[in-house]
Formats: sequence, structure tokens, C-alpha cells
Amino acid sequence: MVILGLLSTMRVEGAGWPRFLVTGLHRNLALMTLVFLTLHIVTAVVDPFTHLGWAAAVIPFSSYYRTLWLGLGVIAFELLVAIVVTSLVRGLLGQRTWRAIHWLTYAAWPIGVIHGVGTGTDVWSLWLIVLTVLCVSAVVITAAFRLFAGPFDPLSPARSAFRGSLDRDEAP
Amino acid sequence: MSALRLLAGRDLRSGSESLAEHVGRLGPLPHPGSDLIETLVSSGLSGRGGADFPVGLKWRAAASGPRGSAVVVANGAEGEPHSRKDRLLMTCRPHLVLDGAFLAARAIRAKEVILYIGEHHQSSRVAMERALAERTGYERGQVRLFAAPARYVAGDSSAAVHAVASGVALPTTRKAASAMVQNVETLAHVALIARSGVPSGTLLATVAGAVAHPGVIEIESNRTLGEALSIAGGVTEPARAILLGGYFGSWLELQRALDLRLDPLELKAAGLSLGCGVIGVLPQSRCAVCETAGIMRYLAGESSAQCGPCYFGLRALADSCSRIAYEGANPLDIGRLQRWAKDVAGRGGCRHPDGAVRFLRSALETFAPEFAHHPAHSARRTA
Repeated sequence: MVILGLLSTMRVEGAGWPRFLVTGLHRNLALMTLVFLTLHIVTAVVDPFTHLGWAAAVIPFSSYYRTLWLGLGVIAFELLVAIVVTSLVRGLLGQRTWRAIHWLTYAAWPIGVIHGVGTGTDVWSLWLIVLTVLCVSAVVITAAFRLFAGPFDPLSPARSAFRGSLDRDEAP
Repeated sequence: MSALRLLAGRDLRSGSESLAEHVGRLGPLPHPGSDLIETLVSSGLSGRGGADFPVGLKWRAAASGPRGSAVVVANGAEGEPHSRKDRLLMTCRPHLVLDGAFLAARAIRAKEVILYIGEHHQSSRVAMERALAERTGYERGQVRLFAAPARYVAGDSSAAVHAVASGVALPTTRKAASAMVQNVETLAHVALIARSGVPSGTLLATVAGAVAHPGVIEIESNRTLGEALSIAGGVTEPARAILLGGYFGSWLELQRALDLRLDPLELKAAGLSLGCGVIGVLPQSRCAVCETAGIMRYLAGESSAQCGPCYFGLRALADSCSRIAYEGANPLDIGRLQRWAKDVAGRGGCRHPDGAVRFLRSALETFAPEFAHHPAHSARRTA
């Protein structure tokens, strides 16, 4: 999801894969992530073995159990909720506010990864190590490419051209 | 009282109707008070700029705001390529538009009226200025002229509000509560309803394409599309289809189109709209696929580039259409057009991509055989 978000700001497209589809996939994956994340939290709370309670799932660092690691997970989740909700009502917020909040993804994702590494039950199993390393390196590599790729906003040249055409002839 | 017509009176080719002629024909501008809004609601008048929104409801909502907080924007941007009716109305019957705008300002207690006229519509602007000079000083003081940029999206009501408020004619999905935007023809209808109490029952349309006398007609809304074509002199060669409502409208099979009545409610029930009032006749001699590709290219180029679905999506759709037009039919691109149209719809930062997608979908449906069997053309043959 983070990778697709990064890709959508770059010039990745083809005849059969126009750029706006990257955005569509990005959105659908983000919503799916939220669904699975909710599932993860609900099952963790409901699980009688942990006795976490609902407060621990909502208030960061309030859990008696692995206070730090769980708190990070709660923060990552709440950031993601804010990111998704603001995206759903982007029309009401305006582009600038939405973008500022969307940047929180760069915080939410690493916090989520640290939460997983810190308190995951299978951290030292080979498959999870491989998966984590793959995900982290994919994001790091794409982010590095993004840093060196063209304009900050791929629409900005076209947008300036449109605005320029509006100003061509001013009031009568 | 009997119904009145917009374009009755002086010959349209002999220029603007003066204030004396206007008052002589229709009587002075009445002061209907707060009853006007209820009269408009019961008249069933809907906006003639393209969206068909009920006028009475719009005014009732605007009137509920605090006094003097709103402005009235008379929308005469007319950026729709084949449309001429707003220009003709402003040029030939400017006092009707002014009457309607002043009635609106009074009804919603607005302090200002803005005439938002397309920057290239010179004769309309001159006619409106001249008409304004004949009105009272108080009325003149209420009015400000604003040039609408010559871009397709600049005529959208949200773009008009942004243009007037901030100088940038950018369309959005957000509704600005501070301004009431009404198409100039709609305002002219209000001016008639304020006098007679009943709707004129007519509407203005621009007939374009393969007809003997392309141009603006005033026609009763209970008459059919076929009759509209007859008024424009009839078709000049065998027709393939009709584009109803301009570039945000729908293509119709000729046989289905001819018996359709122009009444906005009836069209709405059939899932159609007269939109901005453009009725385009495509002859069989023109290639429907190339025509569609040309219009999609135009609409993609008119994107304000606010959002990806519009700027990249419409470009991808136009590319796909062009590939079929230049290189011949291929199932891959037809599949893409159908799939991507669904992906673009409803996701834009304004209504531009939705309008373009509606147009494309109706083309894919109406011209399905042409799209499926289109031969490669060496050169583009579009308007």
C-alpha cells in the first residue's frame, strides 16, 4: 500500500496500466488493510488468553501487557484511521489539509512495523523474518527512488498550465 | 394570463431589444414579493444551464440565508462548444436576463448581481452593458461584469463561484453557500413567470450538425426532438444518431430520438437530459468512432488537472479511443474503455470526469457495432 502510494506520485504507467489505476488499487488496498487490522485488534481483545480489554486497544500505553509495544500498535492504528477517514472526506477538507494528514503514513507504517517486531509471537520464525525484511526493503527502495524522481506533484505542470490559460484574458 | 415567449418581439437579426421595446412587449418588471419563490416552485421550472435543478427549491434555500450575505451569479459563460443559446439570449433579449437577475437578487436579498459572461462573447457583453445603461442608477450599482475564461469547465456553477470569489475559475464538488448561480436562460424564464404567473412552456435549444438551418430555436417543451429538427430545417442527409445535451450528454439512436419529447421531467424519467440544450445531428457519412475520439480528446484536454482520475483517467480513455480510431478496432481497448470508465466515474475532484464518462458510455452503447468493427483510418475525420 505504501509502495503503491509512492508509485502513484511517480511516472509509473503503461498503455494497459494508466496512472489513475495505481491510485485506485492504492485506495482499495488501504481499505482492505484497515479491515484486516480491525480484525486483528478485535480478535486480540476478545481472546480470553490476553485479557487486554477495549481500553488498551484505544488508549496508547494503557495496557499492562507489553505496554510500549502495544502502545505503538495502537498509535499506528489510530494514525491509519485518521488517514483513511480524512481521505474519505477529502472533498470537505481541501487538498492541503488532506495531504498534510496523509503524510502521517510515513510515521504510521514504521511504527506498525516496530510494533510487529517488538511484540509479534512468531518474530523469530524464518518466514516472518523474510517477509519483514522484504517489506521493509521494498518500501525503503521505493522511497529512495521517490526522493530522486521528478516533480513533487505529478499534476502540478498541468495544473499551472490550466491556471495560466484562465489568466490569459482578464476581466472586460 | 397566457404564457409568454422568450424570443417573441423584434427580429433576432436586428440586434438587441431596447428597454422601451422590452417594457412595451412585456410590461414593467413587477414586484412579486416573497410569493415569487412559491410561484417558481409550483411552476416546475428547472435550471437551463445543464443540471436541471429545480429553480424554486434553489431560491428557497438561498433566501433562508441572512440578508445581504449572498450574491447572484447570472451564468452566461456558455463554454459548451456547439451551444449558442445563452449568447443569443444575452445579445437579443438582454433586459429579460437583467429582469431575472434583479428578481433573484430581491428574492434572496442579495446585494450584488454578477454577470458572468464568456470572455469571447463580445456582442453579448456589449448588449448587456448597453442594456444596463438604460436601467436605473440603483440597478446599475448592483451589477458587476465578470469575464468567464474560455475553458469548458469555467461554466460549471462551482467554477463560476470560485472565479467571482477568488479569481480562479476552478470547478469543485464543494458547494459555496455564498452565491446563487443561475443560467441566463433560466433567469429570463423567471422574468416571464413573474409577469404571467405561469411558465412559458418553451425552452431554448441549439441545433447543430447535419440540419439545414443550424442555430438557436425556441420550442415548446411538449414537442418532440423530431419537431425540433424540423424547425431547424430538417436533416440534410441520412442521420446516424443524435447527441442530446452537448458533450456531457448522451448519444441516441435516431429512431428512438425522434419521438422523444423535450420536457425535462419526461427526459429525466428516460434517464436523459437536454442538458445545456445542444441537439447535435451526426450524419451517417461521418465516422462515429472518430467523432467520439475527437470529443474525448477535447474533454481530456479541458481537465483542470486537480485530480488523477480526471487528468490521467480521461487521457487514458482518450488514448484508448484514439487507438481504435487510428489503428482499428481491438477487443483489448474496448474492454479497457468499459472498465476504466467505471474506475473514473464518481472519483473526480469535480463533475468534469463524470460528464465525460457519461458521454463515452453512451457512445460505446450506441455505436457498439462501429467500435467493434472500426477499420484503421489514416487520418482523423472529426469536427
